[in-house]
Amino acid sequence: MIAVEEISLTRGDFSFAGISLQVPESSYTVLMGPSGAGKTLLLESIGGFLPVTGGRILVAGRDVTMLPPEKRGIGFMYQDYSLFPHLTVEENIAYGLKMKGIASRERTSTVKTLLSSFSLHTLASRHTGSLSGGEKQRVALVRALATRPTALLLDEPFAALDPEARLSCMDEVKAIQKDHGLTILQVSHDRDEAYRLADQVVVMDNGRILQTGTPAAIFSHPVHPTVAAVAGFENILEGTSGSSEGGRTRLSIGTGTIIADRIVPAGDRILACIRSRDITLAGADIPLSEQVNRIDGQVISMVATDHGCQVRFVGPFPLLIDIPGDRASWEYRPGEQVVAWVAPKDVHLIRIPKNTGDGGNAL
Amino acid sequence: MARTAAGRGSLMSSPEQPLRKKYWSSGNSLAAFWIPGMILVGIIALALLVITIPVLRNPEYLAGAASDPVVFQAFFVTFLAGFCAVGILAITGTPLAYALSRSDTPWKGVVETLVDIPLVLPHTVAGLMVYLLFMSRGLLGAPLGGIGLTFEDAFPGIVAAMVFVAIPYYVNAVREGFGRVPVQLENVARSLGASRARAFVTVTLPLTTRHIMYGALLAWGRAIGEFAAVIMIAYFPVVISTLIYYRFNTGGIAESQAIAFILILLCLVLFFVFRFLTRRAGVYDDRS
Repeated sequence: MIAVEEISLTRGDFSFAGISLQVPESSYTVLMGPSGAGKTLLLESIGGFLPVTGGRILVAGRDVTMLPPEKRGIGFMYQDYSLFPHLTVEENIAYGLKMKGIASRERTSTVKTLLSSFSLHTLASRHTGSLSGGEKQRVALVRALATRPTALLLDEPFAALDPEARLSCMDEVKAIQKDHGLTILQVSHDRDEAYRLADQVVVMDNGRILQTGTPAAIFSHPVHPTVAAVAGFENILEGTSGSSEGGRTRLSIGTGTIIADRIVPAGDRILACIRSRDITLAGADIPLSEQVNRIDGQVISMVATDHGCQVRFVGPFPLLIDIPGDRASWEYRPGEQVVAWVAPKDVHLIRIPKNTGDGGNAL
Repeated sequence: MARTAAGRGSLMSSPEQPLRKKYWSSGNSLAAFWIPGMILVGIIALALLVITIPVLRNPEYLAGAASDPVVFQAFFVTFLAGFCAVGILAITGTPLAYALSRSDTPWKGVVETLVDIPLVLPHTVAGLMVYLLFMSRGLLGAPLGGIGLTFEDAFPGIVAAMVFVAIPYYVNAVREGFGRVPVQLENVARSLGASRARAFVTVTLPLTTRHIMYGALLAWGRAIGEFAAVIMIAYFPVVISTLIYYRFNTGGIAESQAIAFILILLCLVLFFVFRFLTRRAGVYDDRS
């Protein structure tokens, strides 16, 4: 288990104060947040590369706060893998064993076993510069595992891989984590990674932890605008709650209104979060069966996506709308008057506390 | 389609030359950069010629210089002192360069400025400083004299002057090398069980080989060329620049030209040998 208790750190203009985080034993935790949130710094301070100015870091129950990195028993892997370019694949993997004083004969046999169990034996005597991204990733992983660390910290380990290698590498890491009961804390920008790997997701921004939970809980019930953005809500609209009726609340947003399937006290400042794929678009002359949340507006622009196309829409407030492939026959034209519609159950609300600027509570 | 065919036709009817000419004359030429640049290169080439041609025309001076034991001894003293200076810089300057490249203390700027001082001082001022510091009554000269290390008119004095003027050349070159080794590599090495010192020796140092060798070469070149700073602390034993200046004043141009010619030749040979020996150093790529 990794337990971070109230640690503080200052690095140039950036600082955390009192960050706490728990990575349960043998679990996979994914740390998410926008760029510049302090994710890598948090990882590096757990790894011991940056001195903390307060708090404690416990690894498997042992206080490592004041220990140098080499005494912490934590494996670390960077996004670029940081393989030693002057050493061969074999020497890279043997490096940690050598530093730990393992005798040469035992070292050789351990490395040999690792090389063949990770299908790296054909690369053993190659330098790392000419390896593919997937091969580098695997060498870095094996190098980190060779010393049998108590925990593993991974800084965006899959970000530099091509899509195919990414999936297989993720599955491999997850399998190793399960087999060895490893405790892993990984930084990621990608929700798919979190869904595929994480037992727990932690979202941070500006040196603060905003929300912790299972991937499903975080991504469907964000409590903070930043978490909502990380969770993939493309539309985050600020407004005020009005009257409630029959379990629904009317929200004033811009010059329009939206109805959400939740009860909110009237007069609260709220953020309405809507995924672009949950919004339906129709030509102005097509009748929609639903009568609530019909939003009149205009198509501004359209771009093709993997799954169809994305429409930029402006009505009483701007919206991004995803149209799935079967409807994406480019039937809309910029400037065309259209009607957008969203089901009240798909409007997720975050309440903005009255006295603070950016915090929030899910409803 | 029609345009392509016409283009191809004109290409076939005229030889390739006009097309290339057209390419170079249409603003793609580097001539505007080469022409002023060649003034500098030309001056260097001419400088080499004015030494070489008279020497080759009167080979008796060359033979005389080559067989002169004083000349031989001056070369020996100069090169040996240069190597000693580089050795001292390697032992003290390498850790300094590393500390400067990794530290973020507010004092770093002060240290950097101090390191660069020998670069901006007139060499006579550097010589004066070295003299005042290392003379037999000097701040360092007196206590070191007590343990039998004399600097005034002695070999250690030459080395001291050479080290002083070569510090910025070595430290800055090596420091740049350390700066290019990502700190992440050291972090990973440490997460794998290496102490800071072992990470330095096993990861950072091997990856900086090229810069260390380049810094050593620069420092050595600077050291063996030093004249003003050296003669102020140690006129004797005579280094090669002192000898060239002395012969220029007493024996005339031809004598000093011959010694200068030998120096140029030796330096060129050493540079080529160095480049040959280090051509693979610090290159770790199976593809090349």
